[in-house]
Amino acid sequence: MGERNPQIAPGNAFTRITSAAARIAPRAAIWLLLALFVLYPLARLLFMLFSSDGQAGGTGVANLAGVFTDAYTRRALGNSLLLASSVGLCGTFLGFLFAFAVTRIDMPKGVRAFFSSVTVLSFVSPPFTGSIALTLVLGPGGLLQRLLHLPDFTIYGFPGTLLAETLTYFPLAFLTLAAVLGAIDPSCEDAARGLGASEGRVFRTVTLPLCVPGLANSFLLLFAESLADFATPLVMAGKSFPVLPTQVYLQITGMYDLRGGAVIAFVLLLPAFAVFFAQRFWVNRRSYVTMTGTGFARSRRGHAQPPRGVRAAILGAISVVTLFVLSLYATILVSSFVRVWGVDNSFTLDNYRFVFTSGLNSIADSLLIAVAAAIPGTILALGVALLSRRGGASGAALEFVSLVNYILPGTVLGIAYLIAFNSGPIVLTGTMTIIVALCVFRYDATGIRSIIASLRQLDPSLEEASLSLGASRFTTLRRVTLPLVLPAVKAGMRYLFTVSLTAISAVIFLVSVNWSLLTVRILQCITELMFAEAAAFSVVLVAIVFAAIGCIDLIFRFVCPRSS
Amino acid sequence: MFRTRGLRRAVWALAVFAALACGSASYAADTLNVYTIWSERYATEVFKAFTKDTGIQVRHLRFSSGEVLARIIGEKSNPQVDVFFGGIADAFVAGKKEGVFEAYVPKGAEAIPAKYRDPEGYWTGVAMDPICFMFNASFLKKNGLAAPASWQDLLHPAYKNGLLMADARTSGTAVSRIFSLVKAMGEDESFAYQKKLDGNVQQYTESGAGGALPISRGQAAGGIFFIVDALEMQQKGYDVAISYPKEGVVYGVEAMGLIRGAKQPELAKKFLDWAAGPEMQKIYEAQKINLIPTHPEVRLQNPALDMSGVNLLDLDIEWSGANRKRLVERWVKEILK
Repeated sequence: MGERNPQIAPGNAFTRITSAAARIAPRAAIWLLLALFVLYPLARLLFMLFSSDGQAGGTGVANLAGVFTDAYTRRALGNSLLLASSVGLCGTFLGFLFAFAVTRIDMPKGVRAFFSSVTVLSFVSPPFTGSIALTLVLGPGGLLQRLLHLPDFTIYGFPGTLLAETLTYFPLAFLTLAAVLGAIDPSCEDAARGLGASEGRVFRTVTLPLCVPGLANSFLLLFAESLADFATPLVMAGKSFPVLPTQVYLQITGMYDLRGGAVIAFVLLLPAFAVFFAQRFWVNRRSYVTMTGTGFARSRRGHAQPPRGVRAAILGAISVVTLFVLSLYATILVSSFVRVWGVDNSFTLDNYRFVFTSGLNSIADSLLIAVAAAIPGTILALGVALLSRRGGASGAALEFVSLVNYILPGTVLGIAYLIAFNSGPIVLTGTMTIIVALCVFRYDATGIRSIIASLRQLDPSLEEASLSLGASRFTTLRRVTLPLVLPAVKAGMRYLFTVSLTAISAVIFLVSVNWSLLTVRILQCITELMFAEAAAFSVVLVAIVFAAIGCIDLIFRFVCPRSS
Repeated sequence: MFRTRGLRRAVWALAVFAALACGSASYAADTLNVYTIWSERYATEVFKAFTKDTGIQVRHLRFSSGEVLARIIGEKSNPQVDVFFGGIADAFVAGKKEGVFEAYVPKGAEAIPAKYRDPEGYWTGVAMDPICFMFNASFLKKNGLAAPASWQDLLHPAYKNGLLMADARTSGTAVSRIFSLVKAMGEDESFAYQKKLDGNVQQYTESGAGGALPISRGQAAGGIFFIVDALEMQQKGYDVAISYPKEGVVYGVEAMGLIRGAKQPELAKKFLDWAAGPEMQKIYEAQKINLIPTHPEVRLQNPALDMSGVNLLDLDIEWSGANRKRLVERWVKEILK
């Protein structure tokens, strides 16, 4: 008995203190990091907005009042909410279709991998080249219009923006939902079938309700992502559909009014806050545990196939989306191999020669930053998700604080980081740390949401069993919890890595002469009207993302061989 | 025991993160740091020539005018660069109010006409860039139209839903377009005209050059650009026609200035002195950079940049700085809504 877990030994003051420290230390470390990289920059930005030093754009308070009194800004706020909710709904629906197809419909392994890759491709969406491709395909006189013979048809406005954002962000829903759908114990559905329920009824009363944590989290992610995205509306919203994040960007970089723009950005936190608590309330009402000790052992049997008609409809729908995404990338791919697109369509490798000579540094820097962000970011995501599972007010606070950077428009967050870490106690300007920190604390939200959704399916008694058998908390985490939520952890890591490579709106304020990034080079090419070179950079970016995702899968297979 | 091993691993992971993340910046004492809005190719040529002449190394970063200004204001308490080069004069006027620039009149800058300089010495104009029309040549031919020669020509029904223009809130091109119209017609008339023009506009693009590719590829008929972008498309081989309205256009002034609190003020002043001289502006034509010099001693050979037949309207930069925000807001209110 003396060999047992010292935690249980009574009366030993030393072990009691160390075990308390071990329990508090990770929590304290995570809060410290969040305070430093989320709350502190926000506070510095707020201080600057409301201090009276060097006013040029009017006071913060006046600007805040302007948001609600100016009819145009009010309309933009309304449009933003409409757009964000629609993107949340449509993206979640589309993500669900893809996730359902990949996890529930029998198909050759290659086809399954192909559909999964399409979702990755869709969110790589290289900045600017992605929007140029969209204009070329969807814009007036574009590919779609010519193929479908639609005369005088304008995509710009709400439909175009909704379509573009849904296509860009549905992969987030896919990542979360594939992990959740895959983990639902087939015996729950089989039991319903055994009781005589029709397939439709099983789906409605068993499968769908069990997906609620995944659906709610993916809606939240998409809603927040759309609220922070200024780039897509900038290209697609046209003149009659103003949205708030674009207003923020225009105010800061177009009207030279940093204060006015940043103040509008804070308004965006309110609806996000509301949605966060709504989804929490909705999800918390029930239990979604399906990974129990007995069920998990049986789940190897696999899921029943949906009826033939449903299968055909789903496969048809995702094939259309796949074709569309591929046509966007085909446009980019083709233009990267020609001299002057539309004028001199002869084949050339010059654009790639340019990328691998003049662009080599930025490729290396981007890769290093993405790797440096993905590893600690994944650990942090797991930590936040595990700690917030304990629930209560502190869990909710932790969850929300970890979302704040994600909701703020990138322009504002970038400036907040710039102000916070350029002077004062911590100076990070010009370092890689500041870029890595920005990526981690902004884009970890996806990993955190997706792990939280998966954790809700996990029966706590599995972990309790491990603990009572004498395993330490860490061993339990490594041997029991982690393997069960691994698909979600992996999804979060993939996303963090990819987005660290492709993000630009916030990073543009933090790049320095020491660290130049791939996306910044793409932007440069676009502003210099070097479209073919920009396309070549984008193709290289996509290739890197796919190679990296392959590596991440290999690493996970190596670390946790049993789970794959 | 297990717990401590777990903790130790976590500490290791953090240490690796810290080691990976701590790329520290070291600023060499003899290096000048510059923000510019000029494209990589243009900026590199200029800084290379400066290094060749003086031995001083230049490190630069390029962003749009608005992004540079936001960065400089954010970095006010600990400036990261010494010079802002090539920025639109408007941005300097806005930055002056924020107190981020230092007045300095470069040696020899007196040779540059006063209309290209700040009277207090906060900025010095090194290039000008007029507004022009750029139309898809095959579109014009197909519709039997000549390249437009008046602002009124843009109202032709053949251009319905065919014009691409930049958004005044993001693009200096668009602001210069509005200034041109105000100068050529008077403010109220110009807005009445733009309301009519709006019927022909397909889309207001984010960046000034954003419409260049769709127009060149025939997805739109034409638009209004800075000559530097229009000529760049022509040089690439796209078949576009460049023309000017007889009522006149304004031109953008691209300027340079010293950052307040610069870490290397002496190097910065050396650079400003050098760049105000005629040698720097001779680089433009030698390197096929389609900017028009402000220095009277620099002459151009390129007929496309010969402005003698173009009705150029002078713009008082102080006036434009003071009225920019109001005009853009009026544009948003009356034209966009």
